Amino acid sequence: MPTRTKTVLIWLLTFTVMLIICMPGLWIILSAFRTNGEILTKPAIWIPQNLTLDNFRAIFGFGENVIGVPVSSYFRNSLVISVTSTFLALLIGMTGGYAFARYQFPGKSSTFLWLMLSRTVPGIALSLPIFIIWSRLGIIDTKFGVILVYTAINVPFTVWLTEGFFRQVPNDLNEAAQIDGCTRWQAFWKIEFPLAKSGIASAGIFAFLTSWNEYALASQLTRSTDSKTLPVGLMDFTAQFTIDWAGMCAMAVIIIIPALILTFLVQKHLIAGLTFGGVKG
Amino acid sequence: MSKFSRAIRDHAVPLALIAPSILVILVVVLLPLMFSFYTSFTNYRLIRPDTLWDWIGLRNYQRLLADWDFWVAFGRTILFLTVALNLELLFGLGLALLVNKITWGQRTLRTIMMFPMMFSPILVGFQFKYVFNDTIGLVNNALQSLGLTEFAIPFLVDRWLAFFSISFAEIWMSTSIFAILILAGLFAMPKDPIEAARVDGCSNWQVFRHITLPFLMPFIFIAMTIRSLDVARAYDVVDVMTGGGPAQRTELLWTLIARTAYDDARMGRANAMAYASILLSIFFTWYFFRKLMDARKHLGAF
Amino acid sequence: MAEVKLTNVVKRYGSVEVVHGIDLEIAHNEFVVLVGPSGCGKSTTLRMIAGLEEISDGEIKIGETVVNNLPPRKRNISMVFQNYALYPHMTVSENLGFSLKIAGKSGAEISAAVANAAEILGLGDLLERTPAELSGGQRQRVAMGRAIVRHPDVFLFDEPLSNLDAKLRTQMRVEIKKLHQKIKTTIVYVTHDQVEAMTLADRIVIMKDGHIVQVGTPLDVFERPVDTFVAAFIGSPPMNLINGHIEADHVVFSDGNRLPVPPDFTGKLADGRQVVFGFRADVLMPKGHTLAESGVVTDLDLKIDFAEPLGSESILLSTLGGKEIQARMHNPRPVNEGEVLTCELHLEKCHIFDASSTKNLRE
Repeated sequence: MPTRTKTVLIWLLTFTVMLIICMPGLWIILSAFRTNGEILTKPAIWIPQNLTLDNFRAIFGFGENVIGVPVSSYFRNSLVISVTSTFLALLIGMTGGYAFARYQFPGKSSTFLWLMLSRTVPGIALSLPIFIIWSRLGIIDTKFGVILVYTAINVPFTVWLTEGFFRQVPNDLNEAAQIDGCTRWQAFWKIEFPLAKSGIASAGIFAFLTSWNEYALASQLTRSTDSKTLPVGLMDFTAQFTIDWAGMCAMAVIIIIPALILTFLVQKHLIAGLTFGGVKG
Repeated sequence: MSKFSRAIRDHAVPLALIAPSILVILVVVLLPLMFSFYTSFTNYRLIRPDTLWDWIGLRNYQRLLADWDFWVAFGRTILFLTVALNLELLFGLGLALLVNKITWGQRTLRTIMMFPMMFSPILVGFQFKYVFNDTIGLVNNALQSLGLTEFAIPFLVDRWLAFFSISFAEIWMSTSIFAILILAGLFAMPKDPIEAARVDGCSNWQVFRHITLPFLMPFIFIAMTIRSLDVARAYDVVDVMTGGGPAQRTELLWTLIARTAYDDARMGRANAMAYASILLSIFFTWYFFRKLMDARKHLGAF
Repeated sequence: MAEVKLTNVVKRYGSVEVVHGIDLEIAHNEFVVLVGPSGCGKSTTLRMIAGLEEISDGEIKIGETVVNNLPPRKRNISMVFQNYALYPHMTVSENLGFSLKIAGKSGAEISAAVANAAEILGLGDLLERTPAELSGGQRQRVAMGRAIVRHPDVFLFDEPLSNLDAKLRTQMRVEIKKLHQKIKTTIVYVTHDQVEAMTLADRIVIMKDGHIVQVGTPLDVFERPVDTFVAAFIGSPPMNLINGHIEADHVVFSDGNRLPVPPDFTGKLADGRQVVFGFRADVLMPKGHTLAESGVVTDLDLKIDFAEPLGSESILLSTLGGKEIQARMHNPRPVNEGEVLTCELHLEKCHIFDASSTKNLRE
């Protein structure tokens, strides 16, 4: 096959694949700016006649079309829950990751394995006992209850990622700092932490996204406007008799935007962290 | 006792550092799982709290073994995972090789490839519920506008079409994990062995088969391991797309657990099913983790 | 201002003992090199002096202070690491000044000290660069600069030259020696390279399997190795060592060749005793290609297997008593393979070691 044809074929194939990846998302974004009337019209209108921000106004409770889904509360809940649980998971996971990277202790590898295995428990399976226990403890349907669970499900992966990033910082540097007059703690904060910082940040963003996107647990552990997160709130729309497609699309855009920005920020570190931790044992 | 306390004293710092991680996992994962293990031996129903003490031994498990719905859902879950994981690997490999060939605009393509990874599974489900909808869906609209079909195709209603639709969503969501990790493997790959193989007279296919693929295996297994950690994410996708319906046609193990536990309020029985799902997840993860270790050993110290 | 004193220092990892009770006294301003094959415990010993490893038993004193339980920062030491351990997120001047900053010194003090160190090591132009922008030799110099900035009592080097190429290594060796003359501080230096040990040390400490085998000046250990291990380890090429047994004040080898024992052993060794006969290539020279030296000489006909011309001399390879041996040929001429040369062996400079204990019988 001539090189030219081959190049064209490769580009054509790539274009198709990228189209499949992008199209559904783009379609949702487009729909978020259209009216329900236009979305429902038959035969389909392909070129939007008028784009509007009404859907966004409506889900945030402005404008005349009031919908019964309190998206701004859900947004606030999602933000509080994700940020808090990320911070806690990072604090706890980083401490653990540092221990795994720098110290030898009995039972180290099996502890690591068990920590990772705890991550495999399906959210829905874990939700059953937690639902019962949290109910008894009175923390069901509270932000605190969800934060606690999200912290725990984020810890294993944070440990795995930060362990990898700390291991990339040579132990020599920590020792050199101690000889230069640092305490162990100073050596960590002044040398090791700054060097692993970008990796730790990406572990944090990964944890944030996990919390931000989680559904299986939150859908059972939250019931009220005070604790429901955005993914759970999205299902509010389907509970109604006629689905407000445009409103759902607008809410989907709200959910995806923070995730989109954060992922762009860390994509490089994330891949490095995943492959490094896994391959270079 | 003395040996134990001595081990604690000698390793006080690292043990103190990992203690918070262990503690939070203990409280939120391990203890609840022990509790649910207990309830799987009771006739616990959510609406009647006193049934928590109603010990019925193995009866939940016995019923489960005789429950046709459970076995159908279980079988469908296995089929779903087999189809999805294999196709994700295949497409991921293809996509990685494709992007690796392209030099101009490669960074942009890689970023686009990560697109599905940042989607919440619930969004993926919603997105395809919208795209495959029989009246207003993108696919049906396109087919009808192009005149390829007169009737709406019931993507989310027909037994096999619905299975196809949820598989499609799952594959769309997770192929990029494979593609990205395999691409990272391709970047990390040393050029010498390939050149040596070319000099030794290997064809392109032989180079791929005997040099490139073995080198990529650890990366493939990492992707598999990471992927199998959260196979149960499919619950979110299916729950929003079809809810396991219509008439349980897309029921997977996880949606069945949710239905049994929260709609039928039969917690004891749901917990017994939950254990099946946990074992399934652990089995997948453990299997690929073992493969990863073997592949690493095989490739030695690269 | 400090001597270092190790008394019965032991290091155990769990139940495995890797350093078995070392005694060593290092004088003020002395340059001591710990040398030995990998796994001999030399690095562990250095790290125990630094405080990076706890000692399991015994006592380490720096100056008048017992430092057993002091953390590294309180020992007033500095260390140059094998991989330099420069802080990658800091510039050269920040690297140099880091220890003073930690110690809470003023900005002016720090910049003066940094400038001084930069002056000594010729780092002036590099101060604003980061370690990633430096060559291997420059990194090495920065690592040394970081160590001298704070005027430590003791200077520790952990195989500092092993990551440099051969030419740079020779050059830095000279710089380290000059640095020691300039700053006059006690130095403990670890290496596996006996050439480094010989050229740098005031005293060499040879270690093996967690024990000190011999301590002495470079000439001491070269000329009077306590056993066959030191004899083979120190010097290049290594000492020729051939097993044999005593017969009437001669050593008889397995191939029937025999050599007289060195004059000071005459009449002292019982017949039949199993020994190892040792001599350096420098004391075995073909007739006509020797250095003018007097002493007791015996002749030996050797069939040459191979010659390595080095320019001003050649190393000749031959076989004696079933062992490959080396001789040195001054003012060399081409030698053919298989040619038989009559060589002179300077017997006074030969050694006899006990075959079972491997100890030098002259001590």
